[in-house]
Amino acid sequence: MTMKEQEIVERILKKAPYAEGKVRRERRIEFKVPADRIRNFLTLMKESGFELMLQITPVDWIKEGEIEIIYQIWSVTHRIHAMVRTRIPRDLEKARMPTVKDIYPAAETYERDAHEFFGVYFEGNEKMEMPWILDDTERGTYPLRKDFDMLSYVKKKYKILDRFDENKDNYVI
Amino acid sequence: MVSQSELIKEARENGMDLLPLDKDTYELFFGPQHMATENFSIILKMDGHRVVKAIANPGFLHRGFEKLAELRPWYTNIALLLRICVPEPDVPEMIYSMAVEEIMGWEVPERAQWIRTVVLEMARVSAYLFWTMGMAFKLGVYTAGQWAAAYRERFMALFEELTGARVYHIYTIPGGVRRDIPGDKWLRQLKDTVEYVKSKLPDFDHLIFENYITFRRMEGIGVMDKKFALEEGVTGPNLRATGVPYDVRRADPYLLYPELDFEVPVLKEGDALARALIRRYELEQDLYILEQLLEMGPPSGPYKIQDPRLKNLPRFKVPAGDAFAHVESTKGDFGAYVVSNGGNKPYRVQIRGPSIAHGIRVLEQLLIGARIADVPVILVSLDNCPPDIDR
Repeated sequence: MTMKEQEIVERILKKAPYAEGKVRRERRIEFKVPADRIRNFLTLMKESGFELMLQITPVDWIKEGEIEIIYQIWSVTHRIHAMVRTRIPRDLEKARMPTVKDIYPAAETYERDAHEFFGVYFEGNEKMEMPWILDDTERGTYPLRKDFDMLSYVKKKYKILDRFDENKDNYVI
Repeated sequence: MVSQSELIKEARENGMDLLPLDKDTYELFFGPQHMATENFSIILKMDGHRVVKAIANPGFLHRGFEKLAELRPWYTNIALLLRICVPEPDVPEMIYSMAVEEIMGWEVPERAQWIRTVVLEMARVSAYLFWTMGMAFKLGVYTAGQWAAAYRERFMALFEELTGARVYHIYTIPGGVRRDIPGDKWLRQLKDTVEYVKSKLPDFDHLIFENYITFRRMEGIGVMDKKFALEEGVTGPNLRATGVPYDVRRADPYLLYPELDFEVPVLKEGDALARALIRRYELEQDLYILEQLLEMGPPSGPYKIQDPRLKNLPRFKVPAGDAFAHVESTKGDFGAYVVSNGGNKPYRVQIRGPSIAHGIRVLEQLLIGARIADVPVILVSLDNCPPDIDR
């Protein structure tokens, strides 16, 4: 069952000794890679038959002060799903990653998505400034970060709750 | 009489952003109100009747599912996430439930698996009928479109009896399904409906899929090759139309699909006609799968998992961990990545929409050089679902 997965993990780790890898279950494998070696590793993955980039998932681990970036890759040849995990600091100046859009062209859109919602800057991707969130959203607000205060943002932006507060006596809750 | 240049000057002064008028090209706003675009907006830069550049805009949904999912308890997220893709709402429910089950380490009862497979296939059939309606309208074959809408309505009625709602079902939950099938009468009705729709497929063929006009309008339009499709992350019928036999139901089997007999149709041309024909074959295959499932019959047993933790749903907690689950939808490979930190709410939920690949980038590239009359045909042949792009 997991023979094929184990074999693929071992073959990739042989070429990339800086990475850690394991088999999660049938058809699911995962790797941990340092952020500066990610381009090297993903090139290796593509050469090993993992040709379909499904998604780039950032996760904000606020207690550790880190953002985890997970590249979800599917192999049409081997029929295996691989997660390539890497961690970068949470600070806006340090949250930088090299782009992989020349390795997986589909990544360009997902990198843009990650930039819009998490503030991770992908160096080499020119399409980063095109916003998916509303045009009148303040620059520097990243809604999917854990310290984003949604209630006060909505209050400030739409002034709905302020109006509600002023006329509080007129309302019966 | 005010001249056009004066109007444009006035518009600029009022802060409207217009493209400078040069000799050859002009800008055309296509959608979202236009009938042929299905609430999807494209800005086309035209040279005569040819498209020079296209900028796709999925719309103004901005509903923020992923943020909202972090603020709600595990079970109430079902009622939120199914709103991602309206023609096929069972798919987001299913992937979320499958991911949660993987973290919990749950094995779903057999009866629930059977019901889930039936629900997924019914959703696929009704989504393909919905697409047939859209395509027929865009090609000007209104009769077939109205037939498809009427046949879809039969499945909607069955869904209503099964789940209590026509469109937003809220039926699949982590651990099984929300309630049992209504009884043998419902199964008989489903069987009759499947037979009825199957008997009507030749009519569709005569009217659309074997029609000379369809062939002339779709052949050689919006061609993409295998390498390009894989690099851009295209999945589902659009990828199979280029010659890659990738179907999640076969590649990463889930539910009862390993036991079922069905074909994964593959064509090599990669044009709009190939994509349309793939969907036509798949509609037939899905009806065949439903027939097999009905012949099998629902296995006896509970329809959801028996676990004491399910007694108090608002306080239901999921142990720390993460999981990725994906299923095959009519749009492509639909996936969910769920992270839990042990609390009563998810730490992170990400939905992988298949339309994000073929709905924006690929569409923009395929439209270059197309005639204005072909724009709706390319758009409908890719079958994108705007809410699943702009989550």
